[in-house]
Amino acid sequence: MKQAIVIIGLGNILMSDEGIGVRVAQKLQTCEGVLQDVEVIEAGTAGMGILHAIAGRQKVVFVDCAMMKEEPGMMRRFTPGDVISNKSLPGRSLHEGDLLDILELSRQLGDCPFEVVIYGIEPRSTAPGEELSPQLASRLADYVETVLAEIRNASGG
Amino acid sequence: MRFGGEPYLVITAGEEVMTKTVEVNVHHVTRVEGHGNITLRASDGNIEKVEWQVPEAPRFFEAMVRGRSYEDIQTIVSRICGICSVTHSFAAIKAIEAAMDIKVSKQTDNIRMLLHYGEQLESHALHVGYLVAPDLLGQNSVIPLAKSHPDVVKTVIRLHRLGNTIMEVLGGRMTHPVTVKPGGFTVLPTEAQLLELKQMMEDSVPDITTLADVVLSLADKLPVFERETEYIALVEPKHYSFYHGDIGSTDTDEVKPVNEFESVVNEYVTPQSTAKWAKWHRDSYMVGALARYNLGADHLLPLAGKIARKFGLKKGCCNPYMNNVAQVIECAQVAEHSLQLIDEVISAGIKDEKPDVKVQAGNGAGAVEAPRGILFHRYEFDEKGICTGANLCIPTNQNHGNIQKDFEAFAPQIIDREQNEIRLLLEMLVRAYDPCISCSTHYLDVEFI
Repeated sequence: MKQAIVIIGLGNILMSDEGIGVRVAQKLQTCEGVLQDVEVIEAGTAGMGILHAIAGRQKVVFVDCAMMKEEPGMMRRFTPGDVISNKSLPGRSLHEGDLLDILELSRQLGDCPFEVVIYGIEPRSTAPGEELSPQLASRLADYVETVLAEIRNASGG
Repeated sequence: MRFGGEPYLVITAGEEVMTKTVEVNVHHVTRVEGHGNITLRASDGNIEKVEWQVPEAPRFFEAMVRGRSYEDIQTIVSRICGICSVTHSFAAIKAIEAAMDIKVSKQTDNIRMLLHYGEQLESHALHVGYLVAPDLLGQNSVIPLAKSHPDVVKTVIRLHRLGNTIMEVLGGRMTHPVTVKPGGFTVLPTEAQLLELKQMMEDSVPDITTLADVVLSLADKLPVFERETEYIALVEPKHYSFYHGDIGSTDTDEVKPVNEFESVVNEYVTPQSTAKWAKWHRDSYMVGALARYNLGADHLLPLAGKIARKFGLKKGCCNPYMNNVAQVIECAQVAEHSLQLIDEVISAGIKDEKPDVKVQAGNGAGAVEAPRGILFHRYEFDEKGICTGANLCIPTNQNHGNIQKDFEAFAPQIIDREQNEIRLLLEMLVRAYDPCISCSTHYLDVEFI
């Protein structure tokens, strides 16, 4: 039986800040007891696998690296309806596409959770490397706490 | 997050001037992982320029593994690509095992192949259903297809989910597997889990048949284009190979051991591309499902053979668009072989084996068939098991030269058609190769409204 709420961390940890979503998910996975009845998935670059991971849930919280024209390290909460993708060009595709496309397909198939929240974190660098930039590394605990607060609010606790 | 490749598609198809000039510039082919440009310029029916332009796939992963323990290599390379993470894992593990003379059990071999098939099924379903079907059904992506042909999309998604489930059960999660190590598995599936997978696999047969029927009903939309080509894949004497074997070619009966893969790939530099091309007996060769088919079709299992006959796909086919059909046939092949493997593992009794590795210095190569063709890894280790050198040769790189040769042969045949049709045919040709041009960065790129 799937948990009603799922947190999904996305990105490639070989590309420095690109992997911030994965780093947050890995931290959250160590928060035993805090996240009861919530599944945390470190999905890396799973792509279309996200469709299956979110199907049948009530709420999904994504954490991902996002170009938002913010200061590096800034975290912003948004929903798919709050943004337009700069990748959404004619002929867009899922294979090369982005999270927003997958969510749209999920919605059309009737599988999309009622509530979708995305936490975007502005990168400083997406160059090859396994380390986060200092601007993000120093705020990792804050990112984790923000996501935990999101879950607490959802649980009414 | 972005799932491979550059996000931007810019099509600037030029106007036909005095009905004499054709100019097609597709910057970053959509529905392909990674970016690549198509350029065609023709005047009065004469092709002045036709090029498949791609940058060299990043080689920084090779630098990244240098100085790392053999124990870390799989974890790192599994992150190179979200779609081929199992394949990269096994190419690396097999290379490490070759370098350190590590033997694995039949059980390990069988469960690895099963996991590998999960990725094949997932990737083929994705490619045929999400990338090729929109072309054949006149849509520009799978999103409108979900409205116009929901049953097709749902069939594809069920097959994709099955592949995904196999990877979760055997690899420990849906991608970037965590259970596979040099020497074996850290966590083995239970008999109950295998039986559940078996049931799911049996239940998938109608979906595979449906997918085949859908593609068959649209097969007349696959362009007719043939060019004699050398096909290269792993070969085994009695099996359709995805995981074991030597390197075979349709141009020769000679096979090469995997440890000599550099003498097959023969990477070379060409002025028109920053990506290296590959050649063995000709200027280029093709890898992928059609290559495997052309070398292994005699060993198809019954359902796969039946589907192949429905399509009338003959061994020796040299129409690259039929790579899509070969992928459909392979969906059946991996499903059928998975059932055999599960039976074999269960009937032998699942043994609680743990990886047993004695670290030693050495150099070794490994090869497995990625969904999009043969993948080679080579590593060198010192006596402490620290990596001192690496060479990764991905299938997409091996195909670049062949795409160009196809362009050169095909463009003159279609140059009298409408400009948009020419563009689509060339895009479809690239997509038929199912390329994966290193998906290295994956971020969202958004504007707030």
